[in-house]
This record gives sequence, structure tokens and C-alpha cells, in this order.
Amino acid sequence: MKLRAIALNTFSSLLRNKIIIVFCAGCVCVLLLMLTPLLVLRNGRGAQNAEMMQMAVLPLIASMMQFISGFGSLLAAWAAADAVAGEMRSGTILAMLARPVRRWEFLLGKFLGVQLMMFVFVLIMLGLNYLLAWIGGASIQTNPWVLIVYPMVRYMIYSALGILLVTVMHPILAFCIVLVTMIGAGLVAPGNAETFMPDWLRTGLFYVFPSSNLLSETRFLTITRATLRAAVWTDHAIALVYGLDYALVCFLLAAWIFRSRSLSRD
Amino acid sequence: MSAVIEFQHVTKIYKRMFSEEKLAALSDVSFEMPPGQVCAFLGPNGAGKTTSISMLMGFFFPTSGKIRVFGKPPGDMLAKEQLGFLPENFAFHKFLTAPKLLRFHLQLAGRNPANAGNLIADLLNKVKLNGYENLKIGRYSRGMVQRIGIAQALLCDPKLIVLDEPTSGLDPAGRREVLQLLAQLKAEGKTIFLSSHILPEVEQIADHVIIINRGKMVRSGRLQDLLASGGQVEIVADRVPPELAQGVFRGALLESVQQGVRVLVEAARKREAVEALWAAGCDVIAMTPQRNTLEELFLKEVDRPGGAQ
Repeated sequence: MKLRAIALNTFSSLLRNKIIIVFCAGCVCVLLLMLTPLLVLRNGRGAQNAEMMQMAVLPLIASMMQFISGFGSLLAAWAAADAVAGEMRSGTILAMLARPVRRWEFLLGKFLGVQLMMFVFVLIMLGLNYLLAWIGGASIQTNPWVLIVYPMVRYMIYSALGILLVTVMHPILAFCIVLVTMIGAGLVAPGNAETFMPDWLRTGLFYVFPSSNLLSETRFLTITRATLRAAVWTDHAIALVYGLDYALVCFLLAAWIFRSRSLSRD
Repeated sequence: MSAVIEFQHVTKIYKRMFSEEKLAALSDVSFEMPPGQVCAFLGPNGAGKTTSISMLMGFFFPTSGKIRVFGKPPGDMLAKEQLGFLPENFAFHKFLTAPKLLRFHLQLAGRNPANAGNLIADLLNKVKLNGYENLKIGRYSRGMVQRIGIAQALLCDPKLIVLDEPTSGLDPAGRREVLQLLAQLKAEGKTIFLSSHILPEVEQIADHVIIINRGKMVRSGRLQDLLASGGQVEIVADRVPPELAQGVFRGALLESVQQGVRVLVEAARKREAVEALWAAGCDVIAMTPQRNTLEELFLKEVDRPGGAQ
């Protein structure tokens, strides 16, 4: 009951969070701008346009989905960091922790509240996937659960990382570190052609940073039957367990640090 | 009866990260608070009151020493279940209404809010917030926020109520209502640990007083004893012969009153003074200890050079 109360309260707070609203509004604006060429192409008729459509639509949809997905990771990190820091900033944490609520329960409630918001985000993203495919004249062949579970696990990692960092630092700094981590994880991913860093550093960072690529649902996002990639259930299990494990470690570290942190109105 | 709150040689030192700079917020503070009493925790700004209350609630951790609440360490779930808390400058989720906030806190306390309609209505009535059930807390005045804070502190019928500046932000009528509420809670046998700057009000309800200054405890004891101790005694006699006025009562304040003469002497010299009057054949009509006010006592202790006991 306590966890549910904290999670729902966090969810309600996040829906009213001005920074998150501005964040989301910015994302929608960028998406609409990206949508314009797609709509122009769809509007055109004739054989030449159909060819262009084939060539442009899939990369465009892929880049849009990558953008939304990356935005979701940042949103998860910021929401989690701000959910905890906001309670300290306003002083509401004092009244909450004066109740028989353990500190880890407070953090877990916050974490679950953020996951609730991210679940809504993922559902919107799923709808958008289908909408974009429809606009592009294609259809999505991937099983929907992949498009829901993979981003959710990735967002769990980033929100747990956000919570971990905010237990020791300012949320803006925590957000910046998450951003750097995200970029770093992309750079050191095995498929990336960038080779400006030595192998030992790249390998080391690969193990430290969350492997977003492994947990990217775009690996499985197949728009046409021709590009369908099969994945056995063990692939899914390993990737998801890896993601959950990373999130769990971050969360446990956060709970451990938070249990001995002095709490006051910041 | 075991103490509800125990501080045993509690010291809290704040250290700045990456610096040798240290600030002792509390130094070797020890006290016990028996159940069923109202204890006023007093001190000037920066004396260490909020630090003490934060440690009592388990928000901060003492550098050394031991704190017990109902015999348990601060932050213990069993102790928290019996405790209601109003922090200084209380803040709430502004998007909630008062009933929703109280329901949320009931859930945090592990109770089912489904059948709490009457309880919530009673509490809102108690703090005079009935009629504002649909108004979001973000639109409340400072005094209304303080009232809802008091309501949430009383929510789960706690045995111990910790109030940090409960009357700040309230108008005189609001302060009087809070005092009446505290008096009612005291009559119900609740233990109240109260920090306040409004000393005349504290004096009306407190049984026990703890004064701290610069992190050190400078005075502690029953309010009656503290106010009576160290004061003066008023003696009214039918007359005071001139030889006594120049002798035993030299330097004392003498004035004529309807019954005779009124003399103010130091409490420590009252026996000597009365015996001298009797020996001179005078009739002692009345002898009344002169009480300090809490404010006088507080200012005396806080202004004393050196500060601590």
C-alpha cells in the first residue's frame, strides 16, 4: 500500500512537472518537424515519388524512433532524479519519511512512479511506431511486446542510474552524467565504427556503461517482412536480464547510499 | 515509567566536504522526556533545535551519543508508528487537496484510507479547515498550510507529537486555537515535544522546558521549578522598623501598600528576612514567591556569558 501510494503520488507529480512538460513539448515539436518530409512524400503521386518513398521512408522512421527512444532514456533519468530531488527541495520528504516508511521503500516508490510514467510514454511510442509505419505505407512486423518490454528495461536502467546519482549530487549534474553515459555507451558499443579510443578503454567502458544498443528495441523493429530478423527467446532473456540486473545494481547502490544520507529541506 | 525520548550525550558536528571546516551544531546534549508531558524545546535561532528534532526523527545521524524514541533508535518503524511530526515550514504536494493529502499519509502509515472519511472530516474540523475540502493546497495561505500540517501530525492518533514551530505563520486567533488544541491533546495524555519562539504561549501549556544555546543545553527542568527558582520573594509585613530597613533589608525594595509594607528579597534570604521581622515584633502578613516569566528565564539563560551549564 505504501509503495503504491508513493508511486501514484510520484506519477501525479511528474505529470504536473513543468520541466517534463517543456521537455515533452520540445520532443513533440522536433517530431512534427521530422514528420514533415514524410508527409510531403506521402502526398506526392507518381512512380518516381514511390521510389523516393521506398528509399527515404524507412531511414526516416528509424531515425525518428531512435530520437524518441533516446529522448525516453533522458526523460526516465531526469524524471527519476527530479522525483527524488524535488521532494528534498520542497521539504515534502520530511513529512513522508516521518511516517513508517523505510528509505528504500521511498526510493522504490519513486522508481515505480517513474516506471508508470515511462510505461505511458512507451505506449504512446508504440502507437507512434504504428502511425509512422502507416504514413510510410509499410507495416510493423515485430511482436508488440518487444517494443514495450525492451524500452521499459532500458528506461529502468536510466531511471535507476538517475536515482543513484541524485542521492549524492544535484539533479542537473546527475542528468548531465547520464547524458554523457548515454553518449559514451553509444560510442563504445561493439557495432560502432568510431575508433578514436584505445581498445582497452573501449572494452572497459563497454562493461561499465549500460549497453543501450543491446537493449534497443530498434534492433527488432522491423518495418517490412523483407528485413525481418529472427531472435530466439534466449537472446531476449539474456538482453533483458542484463538490463534488469544493471538497473537492480544501480537501485541497490542508491538505496545503500540513501540510507545514511542526511535529509533536510535543500 | 520509561522515557519517551532519550538523548544521551548527543553531539552533532557538521563537516564540509573536502574541507577541514567543522561546525558543532550540538555538543553533549542529554535529556529525557517522560510520557504524558508537554516539553518545550527552546533556543535562539541557530541554537540546534531543528538539528535535534531532525536527529530525533532519524533524518540526521548524531556524530556521537545515543538517541532513543520509545526505547528504539530514531527512524525505527515501530517508533514511527507512534509518532506524529510537524516540520518547520511544512511543505506538501501542492496539487493535492486536504482530504487527498490525509488519505495519502494514511496510506504511508500502512492504513486503509477507504473508511477514513469520518476521521478526515473530524481532523479538518479540528483544525478549522472544513469547507476547504476542494481547494488545492497550493492555493492555501501560510496559516492554512500550518493547520493541515497539524492535522497530518495528528492523523494516526500518535502517542508522541513532535512539533517544530507549530504556531509560526498563524494569526493570533490561529495561535490561540492551536494552543487550545495542544491543551486538549495534553489532557488526552499525549506526549508533546514542541519547539517554539513564542514563549508566553509555550508557558501556558509546557510542563517541562529544555533550553539550548549554541548547541549546548543550558537549562532543563520542570517549568514550575525553573520559573520559581532563582527569583525573588515578596514579603508583606504590617511594618518594617528603620533599623531593619538599614540592616537586613538594606538594598531591598521597600514600598508601602494597603496592608503595611511590601519588601522584595532574594529567595535565598527569605528565612533570614522573616525571622528578623518576627524578632522585631512585626507581623508577617504574606510571603509570595515571585515567578519569572519564561521569556525572562530564556533571555537570562541565553544572554549569560559562556552560555552552557
